[in-house]
Amino acid sequence: MNRKKTLHNIGFYAIAVLVSIVVLIPFFWMISTSLKSKGALMALPIQWIPENPTFSAYEKVFTRFPFMRAAFNSFLITVSYTLITLISASMAAFAFTKIKFPFSNGLFKMYIASMMIPTQVTLIPLFIIMNKMELINTYPSVILPSLFKAFGVFLLVQNMRTIPDDFMEAAKIDGAGKFKIYRIVILPLCLPTLATLCITTFMESWNDYLWPLLMLTEKKKMTLTLALNSLNGQYATEYNVLMAGSLLSMIPIILVYIIAQTQSKKGSLEGGVKG
Amino acid sequence: MMKKNRSLREAASAIPFLLPSVVGMIFFSLLPIVISVFISLTDWDGLAALSLGTLAERFIGFGNYQNILGGEEFWRVLKNTCYYIVLYIPLVLIASLGIATLLNKGKKGTAVMRILYYIPVLTSWVAASLIWKWVLSSQYGILNQLLALIGIKGPEWLTSEIWAMPAIVLASVWKDMGFFGLFLTSGLASIDKTYYEAATVDGAGRIKTFFKITLPLLTPSIFFCLVMALINAFQLFPQVMIMTEGGPNGATQVMVERIYNYGFRYFKMGYAAAFSWLLFIIIFILTSIQMKLQKGWVHYES
Amino acid sequence: MKKRRIKTMLAAGLALIMIISLAGCGGGGSAEPENTADTDANTTVAAEAASEAANEEEVTITFANFNASGGNEETLEEMYLAFQQEYPNIKVDIETIGYDDYFTQMQTRVAGNTAPDCYELNIENFAAYAAKGVLAEITGVDFAGINETALSAFNVDGKQYGVPGSFSNVVLIYNKELFDQAGIEYPTDDWTWDDVQVAAEKIKGLSDDIFGIYAPVTYNEFFKVAAQYGGSLLNEDKTEFTINSAENIQAAQMMVGRIVDSNVQPNSSQMGGMDDWSLFESGRLGMISTGIWAFGTFTEECDFEWDICVEPGGTQKATHFFSNAYVINADSDKSEAAATWINWLASSGEAAKLRIEKGWDLPAITDESVLSAYLEITPPENRQAVFDSLNYLVTPPIIEEYSLMSDIITGKLEEAASGKITAQEALDQAQAECESRITLK
Repeated sequence: MNRKKTLHNIGFYAIAVLVSIVVLIPFFWMISTSLKSKGALMALPIQWIPENPTFSAYEKVFTRFPFMRAAFNSFLITVSYTLITLISASMAAFAFTKIKFPFSNGLFKMYIASMMIPTQVTLIPLFIIMNKMELINTYPSVILPSLFKAFGVFLLVQNMRTIPDDFMEAAKIDGAGKFKIYRIVILPLCLPTLATLCITTFMESWNDYLWPLLMLTEKKKMTLTLALNSLNGQYATEYNVLMAGSLLSMIPIILVYIIAQTQSKKGSLEGGVKG
Repeated sequence: MMKKNRSLREAASAIPFLLPSVVGMIFFSLLPIVISVFISLTDWDGLAALSLGTLAERFIGFGNYQNILGGEEFWRVLKNTCYYIVLYIPLVLIASLGIATLLNKGKKGTAVMRILYYIPVLTSWVAASLIWKWVLSSQYGILNQLLALIGIKGPEWLTSEIWAMPAIVLASVWKDMGFFGLFLTSGLASIDKTYYEAATVDGAGRIKTFFKITLPLLTPSIFFCLVMALINAFQLFPQVMIMTEGGPNGATQVMVERIYNYGFRYFKMGYAAAFSWLLFIIIFILTSIQMKLQKGWVHYES
Repeated sequence: MKKRRIKTMLAAGLALIMIISLAGCGGGGSAEPENTADTDANTTVAAEAASEAANEEEVTITFANFNASGGNEETLEEMYLAFQQEYPNIKVDIETIGYDDYFTQMQTRVAGNTAPDCYELNIENFAAYAAKGVLAEITGVDFAGINETALSAFNVDGKQYGVPGSFSNVVLIYNKELFDQAGIEYPTDDWTWDDVQVAAEKIKGLSDDIFGIYAPVTYNEFFKVAAQYGGSLLNEDKTEFTINSAENIQAAQMMVGRIVDSNVQPNSSQMGGMDDWSLFESGRLGMISTGIWAFGTFTEECDFEWDICVEPGGTQKATHFFSNAYVINADSDKSEAAATWINWLASSGEAAKLRIEKGWDLPAITDESVLSAYLEITPPENRQAVFDSLNYLVTPPIIEEYSLMSDIITGKLEEAASGKITAQEALDQAQAECESRITLK
């Protein structure tokens, strides 16, 4: 029995390590490039360890544009965006799965269908709508679209569908209104999925480039991703600065990821029998 | 009478929950989409100031649709896109399922691995494409060097008409498997432990448990991943733009790449809009089929 | 415990949203940025000072560009400060945006009616924007001092729609050491492609890993090489395509033959994912036909001696003309001020001096004394070749469907370069495709 277990363990770790390496090799190249001085950025064969590692790229990131201001903007926008998404999508998903109303199916299908249109063609019409609403160059212009997140609704619907209706019945018998059921029964059960949605939404909003580019025209409202992309010129891009900036901007998302993961773990441990 | 009142009240209770989302949908989704339908019926160039007047002037009915369907380009890029999808979907689902299962064992180091596997998802396609261009380099890239170690002469990936698309598939799977793995992981985490306990009591082995209990209970998450992967795969874009620019010789030209070029470089936005709507119809049909079929294999608990 | 957490999260979230909405709504709702919002150091309120030719009232214009991104924003700021000395009552709100998404963004703004008063365009987009009537004719300013050819590139049907902000061209850069090793003379300004071929073969012979020359086989190169053999892509009045003329075919065959027949130029698999500059920097390439914007990078990267000469010709010489244009939004009501600003950027001595000093790029002016500062920076020694090249400038054929045409031709040339089809077939097919898909006025 013990031998079988050790074999299993070895096998497990072997695969895990292998996959980790595969996943991380490109990432190492990013780090390596960010430590290079201007020279030899794109030389082949790949120089894994830079000859003269330097933090000059990182210096440039902080001095080339108002890094802290941009980071602050990114935080402001992304956190709001994520919160609104979580609230709005979970409420809508609740309605779709736990409340009977006419045209529910049709409306849900419209939600899914909305994800099938490439954004390139709705870009200009959406821009004009924003303009007419006088929202250009305001934070709401990048935050408000989070009200409608078909992806989030779909994800939560799939999750809420697995919650047996008995839980709702039990709560109703206790005299709970719809909102209370939503808050006390359903939300806690969806915690792992909510955590997941939180991560993906955070990441999507943090890395979003084209829409903030169009909407936030003032330098002081610029997000981090916008600032990083201003580094590419017509003829050359400073790859080392780009990589340094990308790595730095990944840190907040990783932090959020870790936090959300611990939350989700707590939620799953408590199981679903409660209620 | 009573029943009608009750069902009316029931329906009305849905309104506050739906309101934020639906309001958002109307302004930020429905309206632009409706406008884009009108655009597709014109030969608007995407540059002249957009207004009802502009559109009315340039109305051409279904001309764009006829041109697209009658030409060879649409079908060619559709074929390329399908080539991508047929390779990408199975690979990414299997990879992410593998990761999710691996991470669910709860062994030491899982937390660290969770972060590691997700890092590709966090990188932007700009950075990731640059990285993969190097990995895939036929002479100096890691991939071919590794293959050489086991005696295979790797193809010329990004510069070969046959292997360019598989190269893009590889890069995409690398980047997305953490993404779908995350959903599958949370799906796995929501499976009630009591099922597993029951299985152990019954004396079921590891593999049997996986196929008889884990997999079926995971089907809602798998279904979600399948639908999203398909919708996203049809809209393949940034990787192609950065890694191959549609080359070599048009081998990696896909639908959205064409839409972008027509809309934003050739100044034929009407044409691009019509193209998008044809793409939409294709995705819609396939997703509807998936939805219908879900009754056959997806298990919801209620 | 969890319930409370969720509650506090929700409450905090709602509070945050409220704060943001208030802040956002107050921060300015329209696309027209206010003066006070800027961190501009020169917020001179006393703008009554009348200067030489400017208006009495204070005017603020918006200006967007991409050329300054990637390291030159400071230089642009300095230019603005200098401009303010001359025209204190014209305030310019400068936006510098990365190149990659600049045009998607600009197109959206034009279509959405929120484009800046003046902005920058590359040639590709200039052709379309001008043809579609979204640019204003530039009047009321003196173009004296701007290079004639450069100016003519942005003149459509007799009207001036853009001023050349800067310009660059393409020269032949060569690796002196490889030439020494092969025992051949360095290229001179009167070389032809035949001379290049001989040299390239000798250099290629040095080793398997070394190549003689690299010149991209793309539309941008092609229209110029075609001119070197006396051909052109369109007829004189731009009413017909002449892509597969005999001269053009000769040019294409020369370009493609270097890769496919004599292989003095590496094909894509031999490049192995490396780009042409890196190949040259690694010392494995004898000659490269590339833009003068490479000088800075080559100075830093190459550990061998290199120099330049005017690009070789075929039956005649023709050199490339790359320029970005500053244009004025047709819907702008501040076109006078905008015209003053962009003309100053393009032609004034101060702007030109700053451009050269900071190693940004070349101003498109004729003032030799200002340009002479450029000559003094070495390497390369033979910087004079850059100015000599100006004598043979050809401008690209500007038509409305410029991007589509260039994509079709580049696509076909690529197929020929990969050996799939012959050069002749490529041009025949390009001719057919352009004829069927593009209507010329």
